[in-house]
Amino acid sequence: MRKIIELKNISKAFDGETVLDNISLDIYDNEFLTLLGPSGCGKTTTLRIIAGFEQPDEGSVLFLGEDIASLPPHKRNVNTVFQRYALFPHLNVYENVAFPLRVKKEDDAEIHQKVSEMLKLVALAGFEKRSVTSLSGGQQQRVAIARALVGRPKVLLLDEPLAALDLKLRKDMQQELKNIQKATGITFVFVTHDQEEALSMSDTVVVMSEGKIQQIGTPIDIYNEPKNAFVADFIGESNIVNGIMLEDRKVRFSGHVFDCVDAGFGKNEAVDVVVRPEDVDIVPEEKGMLKGEVSSVTFLGVYYEIIVDIAGFKWMIQTTDFVDVGEKIGLYIEPDAIHIMHKSQYSGMFGDYSSFSNEFDELSDAEVEVEE
Amino acid sequence: MKMKPIAKIYTALIMLFLFAPIAILLVFSFNEAKSLSVFSGGSLYWYKELLHDTETLDAVRNTLILAISASLISTVMGTAAAVGIFRLRNKVLRTSLDTVTNIPMINPDIITGISLMLMFVFVGRLFGAATSLNFGTMLIAHITFCLPYVILQVLPKLQQMDRALPEAAMDLGCTPLKAFIKVEIPEIMPGVITGLIMAFTLSLDDFVISYFTSGNGFETLPIRIYNMTKKTVTPKMYALSTIIFFVILALLIMTNLMDNPTYAETRRNERRAGRNKADADGFVASATSGTVGGRDVPPVGSARAKFRRRIALAIGGVLAVGMIIILVVAAPQTPVLNVYNWGEYISDGSEGSFDTIKGFEAWYKEKYGSEVEVNYTTFASNEDMYAKISSGAVSYDVIIPSDYMIARMAQEGMLLELDYDNIPNYSHIGESFRGLYYDPDNRYSVPYTYSFVGVIWDANQVDEEDTGDWDLLWNEKYAGNILQFNNSRDAFATAQFKLGLDVNSQDPETWRRALAELKKQSPLVKSYVMDEVYNMMESGEAAAVPYYAGDYFTMLDAQAESVDLRFYLPERSNYFIDAMCIPTCCQHKDIAEAFINYMLEEEPAIANAEYICYGCPNDLVYENEDYAEEMGEEAMEILYPDLDTFAERYNSFAFRNLDSDMLDLVNTLWEELKIN
Repeated sequence: MRKIIELKNISKAFDGETVLDNISLDIYDNEFLTLLGPSGCGKTTTLRIIAGFEQPDEGSVLFLGEDIASLPPHKRNVNTVFQRYALFPHLNVYENVAFPLRVKKEDDAEIHQKVSEMLKLVALAGFEKRSVTSLSGGQQQRVAIARALVGRPKVLLLDEPLAALDLKLRKDMQQELKNIQKATGITFVFVTHDQEEALSMSDTVVVMSEGKIQQIGTPIDIYNEPKNAFVADFIGESNIVNGIMLEDRKVRFSGHVFDCVDAGFGKNEAVDVVVRPEDVDIVPEEKGMLKGEVSSVTFLGVYYEIIVDIAGFKWMIQTTDFVDVGEKIGLYIEPDAIHIMHKSQYSGMFGDYSSFSNEFDELSDAEVEVEE
Repeated sequence: MKMKPIAKIYTALIMLFLFAPIAILLVFSFNEAKSLSVFSGGSLYWYKELLHDTETLDAVRNTLILAISASLISTVMGTAAAVGIFRLRNKVLRTSLDTVTNIPMINPDIITGISLMLMFVFVGRLFGAATSLNFGTMLIAHITFCLPYVILQVLPKLQQMDRALPEAAMDLGCTPLKAFIKVEIPEIMPGVITGLIMAFTLSLDDFVISYFTSGNGFETLPIRIYNMTKKTVTPKMYALSTIIFFVILALLIMTNLMDNPTYAETRRNERRAGRNKADADGFVASATSGTVGGRDVPPVGSARAKFRRRIALAIGGVLAVGMIIILVVAAPQTPVLNVYNWGEYISDGSEGSFDTIKGFEAWYKEKYGSEVEVNYTTFASNEDMYAKISSGAVSYDVIIPSDYMIARMAQEGMLLELDYDNIPNYSHIGESFRGLYYDPDNRYSVPYTYSFVGVIWDANQVDEEDTGDWDLLWNEKYAGNILQFNNSRDAFATAQFKLGLDVNSQDPETWRRALAELKKQSPLVKSYVMDEVYNMMESGEAAAVPYYAGDYFTMLDAQAESVDLRFYLPERSNYFIDAMCIPTCCQHKDIAEAFINYMLEEEPAIANAEYICYGCPNDLVYENEDYAEEMGEEAMEILYPDLDTFAERYNSFAFRNLDSDMLDLVNTLWEELKIN
């Protein structure tokens, strides 16, 4: 596949505060790439550097192999869908979409044909004469997408475009965005802090934290083989415990030696061990590899989420079996459910559910990113 | 919202209070007669008169030139400044700049005016300019005080705007400039237009700052109206005020249209609408907006947007075209003669009269073969004129001050000696009007008019046998119907003449005796008046008043049917003369002398004498039979009483400059009278 955009060793600071720290990233033709990370991780700044609104302090931006670091936004073959849409309130739906074509002074017949086609694509045919201020959030979103796509950019940048929509609308739009991307064959660079959104839509997910790229990969890779504790925790739920790699495919943690499928670590190397809550089986206490006491049970419809205290470390387990609080149970873990990671700066920061609360998690998710 | 009866009455009262004066103005602008007290039938007479008053129309034109240029320039500058302030990244700098730009708005006008004048004069001196105040300085002054209002209108619009909008435009292919034009300008346009209209109206009616910064040939309407107070303000001005009121009203309505909901406001209104269905907007706003309580915005919104843009275009277009026309019309290349006279003190072509200024320009061209343009401006008092000239900021070629002021200016070296070879018509000035105290050697002045104080009385209220001397004003028969000057010098003079005292006395005792006499009179006095005298006498509200002879004729023209006004001149009374002089700041002395000479020609002299209704010292006038016929026997008798003894009486009775100690004393005594 052809590389469209290459970011090479990009660094950027605002008022002495590092926002991007030596980032390198390749974006390929016809790809749906998502920049995923919590607020302040630098994902929006990365997007703005690609769009041309910010200049990197160091490093270069290549577009089809050409350095465009000094090219102003209007000369880049890249368009943006803004977080709050940034529709022009003084123009109606039709004129908003026609805006980039009018700037290029295309002739009316051509504009009419392209705008109609775009409005059909985003299911807004018939809304041409409406004032954009009278549209619902979802409709405004579609106008913004149509306006950004009508000029047929090579790359479409989307800055948390779904953040302001309610949950159901967001799900629909996710699907629709994916369809539009497939239909147009344009590369999408999508910024979000919502891991579920990232996993369900993307070809490639770029997980960012503190101005650095933590991992680049397909959604499945990212989920199954997180590179470090940050990624493991940020993508889905994870129990992350300290372990010792005794030898290839043998790891000890929580006082028990497990078989696993990972190899290539040093002998007796200290590692982080990830076990996803849904990969843990509950067995009678005496049959368990690990033993513990249930400290809370939450019913979540399809499954129960239980917290088990194993020698002071709280594990989360998702199961369809019912257990009671205070019950002693055993845990059984298959070798391929165990994922071994090298130690990193994030080791020990995540993966313990002793202070876990659903509400707390959602709060931090809902935070809308504000950078600059 | 249902209003309680008391609230209704209260609202009605406020409306009445606000709009009654305007309603009265409007009604009287259609009055057939000159009187303010009697409405004698509707007519468009004063509107027609207004159309023929070239001086006033010039002032209107000047005001418009100034208002249009000042508002356009300040709008462009203010918008640029607002954008600049908005884009500042440094918050401290931004806030402080914002505050600093507001200072001219909070500053009292008078301080802004004085400081600007000082600066202009100072800078002018620095570059050795003879006159530093001109159209340019006035324009700068107006831009200065309009600017903050424009910024104040534009800045909030920028702040309301989604900051991503210009980025979105650039992202879609616009250069930064194009993004500004295509996206930011339309967004802030309502603010820009509101700012423009505000600047326009502010500039249009500014008096204080204009007064301090105006140059010689450029008189705006507010200044002209102010200077008309030597005589009464004519109903022409009511007509003009009415027109201006409606123009401003139209602009106001447009402002409200422009200022109506933008994107953010629409949403806010929608939210508010739920809570407060009947939002009591101003009556103009609610008549023109339609959004309050309206959830169904889409078609209305876009139609209004289109409408707003059209209005914006229309206003911009009208202003721009107006500007171009004015620039073409203005811009004189010929020498300019600056004449500075009292308001309404020359026959100016109004009411079918002779246009002296145009007459002079034509006469000059015929006689000397070259063009000259007269810039005619007016002042309201000798002291105003003196202050303006001694500031050194302006230059005039011909001025027409009163006698005592001529004496003072001559003494202070502010007048040039006249070359009478250039003023051959001086020979027509009667012997009685030469060598008077203020200019004993006839070096500086050529008399223009003279007048005197006499007693005006209503023959339907006063017995003829009681008339003839000052005693009438102390006659208890007419208690409560006597008026007296509301001006210390003139009021004291009536008592001094009555008692046979010297009106220029340096002896405090003389003044105390006069005060005692005035105190005796005060229980009989209905009120102390100046300009109010016209209405009170014309309507028969009062029976007798001491006043200037020329003004008697004005009252006569407008008296009510039940009133029969007469005039007599007591043996001892105050005389005064206004004369043409050339100040030292004169730029074209030869043309100035030609102007003075022309003013003594038969046609303009008669026209002016008929227009002003004062006595004229020119024998071409007072010996002219047509003039005598036009004025009538009574007027001739009053205006030209025994000219042989004029000089003698004038020199003994005319007011002279009092030194400041005496003036202080007179003022103290005057206050004592007024307090009781």
